[in-house]
Amino acid sequence: MVDLPGPRAASARPEGNRAGPSRRGVLRASLASAAVLLGGGALAGCGSAAAASDPRTVRMWDLFSGADGALLDELIDIARPDMSGTRVDRTVLEWGTPYYTKLAMASAGGRGPDVAVSHMSRLAGYAPLGLLDPWDTALLAEFGVREQDFADAVWSRTQHRGRTYAVPLDTHPFIVFFHPDTAREAGLLTGDGALDQEAFSTPERFLEAGRELARASGRQGIAFGYANDTAQGWRLFYGLYRQTGNDFGLPVGGRATADLDAMTEVIAFMQKLVDGRTNPRRLDYPAAIAAFTNRQTGMILSGEWELGTFRAADPEVGAAPFPTVFGTPAVYADSHSFVLPRRPDPDEAHRRRTHQAVAAILRAGQVWAKAGHIPAYRPVTRTGEYARLEPQARYAQAADHVVLDPAVWFAGAGSDFQNSMSQVLQQSMLDGLAPDRAARAMVERMNTALSQPSPA
Amino acid sequence: MTSTDVPTRPARRTVSPLPAARRAHRGRPAVQRGPNLTLGASRLSRTLALAALAVMALFWLLPMAWAVFTAFKSEQDASDPLHWIWPQGGFTLDGFRTVIERGDLPLWMLNSFLIAAAVTVVTVVVSAMAGYAFSRTLFRGRRWLFTVTIASILVPPQLLIVPWFQQMLTLDLVDTYAAVILPQTVAPVMVFILKKHFDTIPRELEEAARIDGAGHARIFWSVMLPLSRPMLAAVSIFVFIGAWNNFLWPFVSTSDPALMTLPVGITAVKDAYGVNYAQTMASSVLAALPLVLVFVFFQRHIVKSVATTGLGGQ
Amino acid sequence: MSTHLASPGRPRADRTATGLGATLRRVVPPGLLFALPFLVLFVLFMLWPMAQGIWMSLTDTSLSAHDPSFIGLDNYTEAFGDAEMWRAMGHTAWFTVVSTVPLVAVALAMALLVYTGLPGQWVWRLAFFAPYLLPVGVIGLLWLWLYQPDLGLYNHLLQAVGLDGYAWLSDESIALYAIVIATVWWTVGFNFLLFLAALQSVPDHLYEAAALDGAGAWRRLWHVTLPQLRRITGVITVLQILASLKVFDQVYLLTKGGPNGSTRPVVEYLYDMGFTGYRLGYASAISYIFFALIVLASAVQFVALRRREK
Repeated sequence: MVDLPGPRAASARPEGNRAGPSRRGVLRASLASAAVLLGGGALAGCGSAAAASDPRTVRMWDLFSGADGALLDELIDIARPDMSGTRVDRTVLEWGTPYYTKLAMASAGGRGPDVAVSHMSRLAGYAPLGLLDPWDTALLAEFGVREQDFADAVWSRTQHRGRTYAVPLDTHPFIVFFHPDTAREAGLLTGDGALDQEAFSTPERFLEAGRELARASGRQGIAFGYANDTAQGWRLFYGLYRQTGNDFGLPVGGRATADLDAMTEVIAFMQKLVDGRTNPRRLDYPAAIAAFTNRQTGMILSGEWELGTFRAADPEVGAAPFPTVFGTPAVYADSHSFVLPRRPDPDEAHRRRTHQAVAAILRAGQVWAKAGHIPAYRPVTRTGEYARLEPQARYAQAADHVVLDPAVWFAGAGSDFQNSMSQVLQQSMLDGLAPDRAARAMVERMNTALSQPSPA
Repeated sequence: MTSTDVPTRPARRTVSPLPAARRAHRGRPAVQRGPNLTLGASRLSRTLALAALAVMALFWLLPMAWAVFTAFKSEQDASDPLHWIWPQGGFTLDGFRTVIERGDLPLWMLNSFLIAAAVTVVTVVVSAMAGYAFSRTLFRGRRWLFTVTIASILVPPQLLIVPWFQQMLTLDLVDTYAAVILPQTVAPVMVFILKKHFDTIPRELEEAARIDGAGHARIFWSVMLPLSRPMLAAVSIFVFIGAWNNFLWPFVSTSDPALMTLPVGITAVKDAYGVNYAQTMASSVLAALPLVLVFVFFQRHIVKSVATTGLGGQ
Repeated sequence: MSTHLASPGRPRADRTATGLGATLRRVVPPGLLFALPFLVLFVLFMLWPMAQGIWMSLTDTSLSAHDPSFIGLDNYTEAFGDAEMWRAMGHTAWFTVVSTVPLVAVALAMALLVYTGLPGQWVWRLAFFAPYLLPVGVIGLLWLWLYQPDLGLYNHLLQAVGLDGYAWLSDESIALYAIVIATVWWTVGFNFLLFLAALQSVPDHLYEAAALDGAGAWRRLWHVTLPQLRRITGVITVLQILASLKVFDQVYLLTKGGPNGSTRPVVEYLYDMGFTGYRLGYASAISYIFFALIVLASAVQFVALRRREK
């Protein structure tokens, strides 16, 4: 054991009887509070009841900060008349792995929120764990939300063993934004102001378009923020890879199947895309947004969720579905959906209120389109009002070709898997790891993930 | 706890490990411990030492100054790379206003305070009793129990987060104050420190009480504890700071933002209106304020606490 | 317990042998009764979790609602072949090396300078120690801001003197060192105070004697001050190594272990495996492997320290 040196011994010497009444007071008070704390199991038992104490409050966790966050407030406000007095109490947590970790831990503890927003791509990892409760579809239908109100491709992902575990709020594809004046000067717009998809239809044309944009902007061409990001590399890669007509086979316990040549081709293209000359090389996510909004670049590869941010900087900002670079139309996307964290003994009335609130939010979804998202509840997108939205209507067709993360337990938004894939891609884009080696490294990491036993 | 230490001015005259700090009050004779003693009479070495100190202090103060500076800027000025020193729009309290209006920061401070206070009280009471038992009483298995206690100092709490969490699941305590507090109250090192401390108290002092027929309870309460006030204060301050700043376990054991402590809350919960540097720094400044203020006012107590407890308790 | 705490007010409580408290006191030796509250907590929140951890490491316990099953040493076998875990162990070890050196050396330098008794004591102590009092959440937010590539203080300062800025936290080759810098800034004050306290117990007469011999500042430092600090330096180094081995908070807050896992320490790896990956059993196995290594390292240090003292 470590022996205590001089100074301690010095101060440890007893001090005589200098009575410090205050100290004694402190000690008494401390003892009293200790008794209260130890005896008062009340504190222990109902600690989390702070917000839940009002039965009319539905506690919701979400990951919408920024413009999305403000918009969700607005959406809830608009939906409120349909909620018969329910108050939605939002908690915004940091997006990414920590969010899903916290959600899983809270669900395991059984004191989680009443409802939470989750990416659809995470459902494959969540539902089998027993961390979620299924939605009552009859109850949802009673409040006007039915299966046929959603695109099949989206609805099919909400199912696990015949029950519905998610209610989709939107589809959010990875698209391109551009400054129309710059793009026009670069000759990349068609007559009606849409992006000329032909000009981006092969890797070579895409890179050439970047050079044109750089010329027109007087600075650089296309921004893409990925440095130290846990998802961006994968988002771009997976969409492009699916455009080659290939997919990954990911059997848990087995080995991954992939087309290494196609992967190599895609990674090589991504490397050239961030060459550091026509396009900036070392951008992290916020820096890429800043580069685009400050007009350092004419275009940005980004999620449509940044629409609000971009429009604040350039009211005319244009958008288009991610161009088909490798032949087969495919757009990387995910879907924000509502899930019910597990409750050992759910309060029926409260569950009903939760269903009602979520249904009301879906039906008021028109507002959500303002954030750039494509509302999943189709009665909203079928309106003429939606068709007139600029530039949202320009990329609404992207929803026809969306690809979500592979439906395997370790994949999905904010997963370690996305992070680990993005890291390899970053090594390739930032540090020059050869594309074929990067492709092999990715497959290797997939095999590692597959070899881990599923926690379910 | 620390705030109630205010009136204990007598401590000024107590034996402290930092005599230099109070050199002036003591009025020591002849050669004082001052620059003369260590640096000699040379003006050059004195100037050099002072310069070195100033440079180091600058490096240490700069980050804090920069944080405070940012906190008083508008968001626009905070994210303006061209005018990074002086804000174009002048200084503003907007950052602070938004943070305070949001309301969760005071809640986390309260949580942190309640949790740290509870941890401190339980830890100190329980450890003092155990320290006394190991120092002054005899019972079968005493040595053995003390050895186990000492050995467990080696167990880093970081490695227990998984079984603790599983335990809280079993006890149905996840997301409660109890889950945050209870595991933090086991502090073998404090038992060790207090046992060692009680060992230094001369036995004669309790003899009188014993002759009067006082039992252990009486001796502990009216002899040992009063003699140990400085030590108890030191240990309390130390435990409190540790609990106030503890991150990993509160982070693991609470998911409900209403229960989070300050260090966890300010990093886990994002404002609904984006990542704003001025606001972030405003909340950092507010979050840092309590302990830094306490330090400014009770520097001597805290310094003493760290010096006396730190080597046993890191 | 409560009866005991209440009794001091009533001096004769020990003799009026009635009630539960008194019965308890007859059956249980009083000493044990004093140790009992601690022992109860100790068993509940130290021994039980440790035992449960061992059990969990032998099962496939996960966050899910399903019952775990016994899988023998599978978790350990997997962990020993887990390159990512060893990489994390490596990061922890390297962090310990590169953080301990400045955390001891800088603290010593600070203490030596402050101890000279130069004017401004209050300011120096505040400057060096105050960061230690900041909650780690604040450290995370503050240093993310300081290191921000386009807007952060450090790149601005570097650019002001004509140097290139760094991508402090997103460049694999420097991210760990950036974290070390933040860590030194944050916690060096603690060691500084320990050194300062030790210095102030160096007897004055040693200096007085040196002064009579005509020794200057340097000779006083080398021949009086430093020799007196040998022991305490060893102790502080050992404590610092043990503290650095447990690193998690600031790494998690600054880089989440990235970029490319290049800063992820082993404590974060077990957090990731256990909670992000839901595999509590596997995480327990990693805990125990790491624990075994810590015990080993401690034993080695202990022996080394003992030998030096002889």
